[in-house]
Amino acid sequence: MTFGLITAVFLAALAGMMNRKLSNTSTLISSLGILILGGLVLLRGGSATVAHGIFYLSTLGGWFLIVLGVVATMSSWYRWGYPDHSRTTSIWLPIFLLSMMTVIVAGNSWVFLTAWETMTISSFFLVTTHHEKPGVLQSGYIYLVMSQLSAMFILAGFMAIGSQLHSFDFAIWAAHASTMPDSYKNLVFLLLGLGFGIKSGIVPFHIWLPRAHPVAPAPISALMSGAMIKLGIFGIMQFLLIDLGQSDRFWPLVVLAVGAVSALLGVLYALMEHDLKRLLAYHSIENIGIILLGVGVMGVGIDWQQPALTFLGLAASLFHTLNHAIFKSQLFLAAGAVEKHTGTLDADHLGGLIRTMPGIAIGFLAGSMAITALPPFNGFVSEWLTFRGLLTVASHSVFLMGIYGLGLAMALGLTGALAGVCFIKAFGTIFLGEPRKAVGHTTIPASMTWPVLSLGLLSLVLGIFPQPLLNLLGHVGLQTQAGHTDLGNLLVSVKTLTVAALLLAGTAIFAVFSRVWQIKTVPRWSCGRVPDASMQFTSASFTKAIRTTFAFIYRPHRKLERLGQHAPDFADRLLYQGGTVPVWERHVYKPMYRWIWRVSHLSTRMQAGPIRLYLAYLLGTVGLMIAIIH
Amino acid sequence: MLWLVQFSGIALLFAGSPLLWGVTQSVKAHLQGRRGPSVWQMYRVIAKNLEKETTAPEFSSLIFRLAPSVSMTALTVVLIMIPLSGQAPQGWPDDLLTVFFLLALERFWVGLSGLDSAGTFGGLGASRTSTIGTGIEPALLATFGVLWKVSGATAIEPVSASLKAVPTGVFAWSLAAISFALIVLAELGRMPVDNPDTHLELTMIHEATILENNGRLLALSQFAMTLKLTVMTALGWVIFGPHLASAWANLGLMLVELTGTSAALGWIESRFTKIRYFQLPTYLSIAAGIGMLAFALSSGGFNL
Repeated sequence: MTFGLITAVFLAALAGMMNRKLSNTSTLISSLGILILGGLVLLRGGSATVAHGIFYLSTLGGWFLIVLGVVATMSSWYRWGYPDHSRTTSIWLPIFLLSMMTVIVAGNSWVFLTAWETMTISSFFLVTTHHEKPGVLQSGYIYLVMSQLSAMFILAGFMAIGSQLHSFDFAIWAAHASTMPDSYKNLVFLLLGLGFGIKSGIVPFHIWLPRAHPVAPAPISALMSGAMIKLGIFGIMQFLLIDLGQSDRFWPLVVLAVGAVSALLGVLYALMEHDLKRLLAYHSIENIGIILLGVGVMGVGIDWQQPALTFLGLAASLFHTLNHAIFKSQLFLAAGAVEKHTGTLDADHLGGLIRTMPGIAIGFLAGSMAITALPPFNGFVSEWLTFRGLLTVASHSVFLMGIYGLGLAMALGLTGALAGVCFIKAFGTIFLGEPRKAVGHTTIPASMTWPVLSLGLLSLVLGIFPQPLLNLLGHVGLQTQAGHTDLGNLLVSVKTLTVAALLLAGTAIFAVFSRVWQIKTVPRWSCGRVPDASMQFTSASFTKAIRTTFAFIYRPHRKLERLGQHAPDFADRLLYQGGTVPVWERHVYKPMYRWIWRVSHLSTRMQAGPIRLYLAYLLGTVGLMIAIIH
Repeated sequence: MLWLVQFSGIALLFAGSPLLWGVTQSVKAHLQGRRGPSVWQMYRVIAKNLEKETTAPEFSSLIFRLAPSVSMTALTVVLIMIPLSGQAPQGWPDDLLTVFFLLALERFWVGLSGLDSAGTFGGLGASRTSTIGTGIEPALLATFGVLWKVSGATAIEPVSASLKAVPTGVFAWSLAAISFALIVLAELGRMPVDNPDTHLELTMIHEATILENNGRLLALSQFAMTLKLTVMTALGWVIFGPHLASAWANLGLMLVELTGTSAALGWIESRFTKIRYFQLPTYLSIAAGIGMLAFALSSGGFNL
C-alpha cells in the first residue's frame, strides 16, 4: 500500500517533468499523494521497512510528510495563478518535491544522501530561475557552497555511525545506535548537528538563507522555507535524539543555546529589513531557533529520563514545525502576490494595499498574528508548549541550570515581542496607511488569494482545536518511548476554545457597540499642514529605537552630507545615508574566504600541471604507503 | 459559590475601573495643591465621547475601526481569567501564560491602529508602545517563572504561602513583587515611563496611538486604558497579596487593595519625573534582573 503510494507519487512527478502542460496538475497530485502517505504512516503508528530496506517509514517521518504535503499542496494550487511558467520551474520543481519526500522515507544512508544531494541541486536551479537578474547567481552559489558543507558533515557523521554499527540501514540504527560508546555519540552529535544545522539555517551558518529565499519565485520560497529547512530538524530529531537516545548531558544544553541565539538574532536582523521576502527569510531563522528550543527540551527530557518532559519537548517542536510551515508558506505566498500586484517588495515604497488587495491583506494579517504567537492562532499553542517546556526545565533544576532555563524562556519572550514589532512594521507599512510611492496595481487571480486564505483558516482552526493533532503526536511519542503519559492534560489549562470564543464574541460585541459601520472619514490631523504620505513612519523610523537599543549587535552608521554652494549654513540638498553592519559577513565569512583563497593559491604551486610531477607524486605516495605497511 | 464570587468580582472591577482611574487623578490633584475633578470624572468623559459623532482619518481601514474593540476584548478576557478571590472555580481558564499572550495581542492591535491612521503621531505611538513591549515581556516572564517554580502549576494563584516554606522565600517574594511593580508601571504607561496626562508630542507614548480616535472609538480606548490599570494591579495582588480564608472576604480585600494602589499611583506620579525614552531599556532590564534574582532565590539557596 505505502509502496504503491510512493510509486504513484514518483510517476505523477515524472509525468509533470516530461510535459510542461501537465506540470501544474501532476505537481498537485504528487503533493496530495505525499499528504495522504504521511497521514497513513502516522495513523498506522510504529515503524516499518518497505521494499527490502530502501524505504523506512517512521511516525516521525509521517509527521514531516504531512508538513511537506501541506506546503506543497498549497504552493501547487498557488502556481495555477502565478505567472511564472518557465521551463526551469516545471522541470526542477517535481524533482525537488520527490527528493524531499525521499529524504523523509529513505531506508538507508545511500538513499538518504542521494536524495539529499538531489534536493540541494534541484533547489539550486529553482533559486536561480531568474539568473538573468543581477546578484541571483551569486546568492545561488553561496547557497550551493553552504549546502555542500552541510552534506559533507552529514556524510562524515553517517560514516561514523556506520563504522560502529557495521550497517547503513536506518532500521538497524534505530534499534542499536543507542548502544554506541559515549565518545562515538559525541562525534556523531557534533558532525550531524553541524550538517543538519547548516541546512536549517542556524546562526552562524544562516548567511545563505536570507540570500537564497528572496530571489526564488514565491512558491519555491514557500517550499524552501516551509518544508526544506525543516528536514534539518527531522535529521536532528531522528538521528540524534531518537536513535542515539541518552548522550552526554552537554548536548541538549548546546541545542538550547543555539536555538535561543538563532531565534534572537534571526528576529533582530529581520527587524532591520525593508524587503519583505528577506524579512520573512530572517524570520525562518528565528522560527528554526524556536523549534530547536523545543528539541532541546526533548533532549533534556531524554537525559533526565522523564517521559513527560520528553513528550512535551517533542510536541512543542513538532507542532511548531507544522505551524511554521503553515504560516510561513502563507506569508511567502502573500509576499509573492504583493510582488505581482505592485512590482516591488520594498516596504518603504508600499502602503495601503489593504484597499487594493483585501484578500491577501487579511491572509497576511492572519499569518502575522500566527507567527507572533497571538491567540487564537496556532503559533500561540506551540509557543505556549515551548514556554511550558523551558519553564519546567528551569523550575526543576538547581541554581545555575535554573537561571539558564529561565534565561532561555526570557530570550524566547524577547523574541516573541520583537517578532510582534517586526510584523506590526511589516503589515502596517505595506498594507495600511497611504501609499508611499505610486506603484502599479495589477489584478491578481483568485487562485493566488485562496491558498493564502485557506492557510490562514488552517492556522486559526489549529489554534482553536489543537488536541486532535496532539493526539496524533502521541503516536510519534510512542516511537521515542515517551509514551502517552502527559497527553491528556498537556493543554488542559489553556482552554483554547474558551479563550477563542471569548475573544471573537467580545470583539463582535464591542464592534457593534462602537457602530463601526457609521464611522465617517475625515482628513487626518497634521498640525495644520497639508498632509502627505511622507509624514508616515517608514520601516526604518519605526525600528529606530530598537536599532539604538541593540547598537552593539547592529553597529549602525550614518552619514549626513550637505551639498551646495553655501553648504555649511544653507545647504541646497541634504544627502543622508544610513545602515547597519553585516557583522557575520564582515568579521567571520570575509576573513575565512580570504584565508581559504590564500591556501588554495598556495596549492597551485604543487598543482602546476606537468604530468611528470603528478607521476612523481604518485610514486612517492605508493612508496610511503609501502613504507608504512612494512 | 466560587462562581458567584468570581462573576460578581468581574462585574465590580469592570464597572469600577474608571472610578479607580478617578481615585489616582484625585490623589494627584490633592498632592499638587489643586482641587481637581471629582473621582467620577472618567465616567463623564466616556459618556461625553459616546454622545459624539465618530470619525476616522482618510486612508484608514477596518483595522483602525476594530482596534479599540480588540484591545477592550483582550483586557476583558484577562480580567475574566484572573481568580479574583484567590481561587478559581473548577475548570476556569486561569492560565498564566495566556495572560502574557493576551497582553501581546492588545499591544499588536494598538500598534497596527497607530500605523493605520496614516499620520505621524500614530506611527510614533505605535513604534514607542511596541518597543517598550519588547522590554516588558521578558521581564514579565521572570516574575511568572517565580510563580511557576513555587506552585509548580500553570495557573494564576497566590504564591506567598508556598514561598514561606522556602528559607530565602521572603527575599524571593519581595524581589519578585518589586520586579512586577516596575513592569506594571511600564505596561500601564505611568510615571516614570510615560506621563498619562501629557499632550506634548515629543514625550507622549500611549496618547499618540489614540490621537486620531474620537467618539465611540475614543470612549472604548479610554475605557480600555482604565481597565488595563485594574487588570494589572489585580493580577499583582492575586499573585503576591495576602490571602484570606473566605472567598467573599478575599474579594472585599481586593477592592480595598485596588483603591489603595490607585491612590499610591497618584503619589508616585507626583513624586517622580519621567525618565528619557532611550533610558527605558535600562529601566526594564533592571526589572528583569531583579526578577531573575527572585527566581534564583526561590529555589531555596545557592546550592549548585
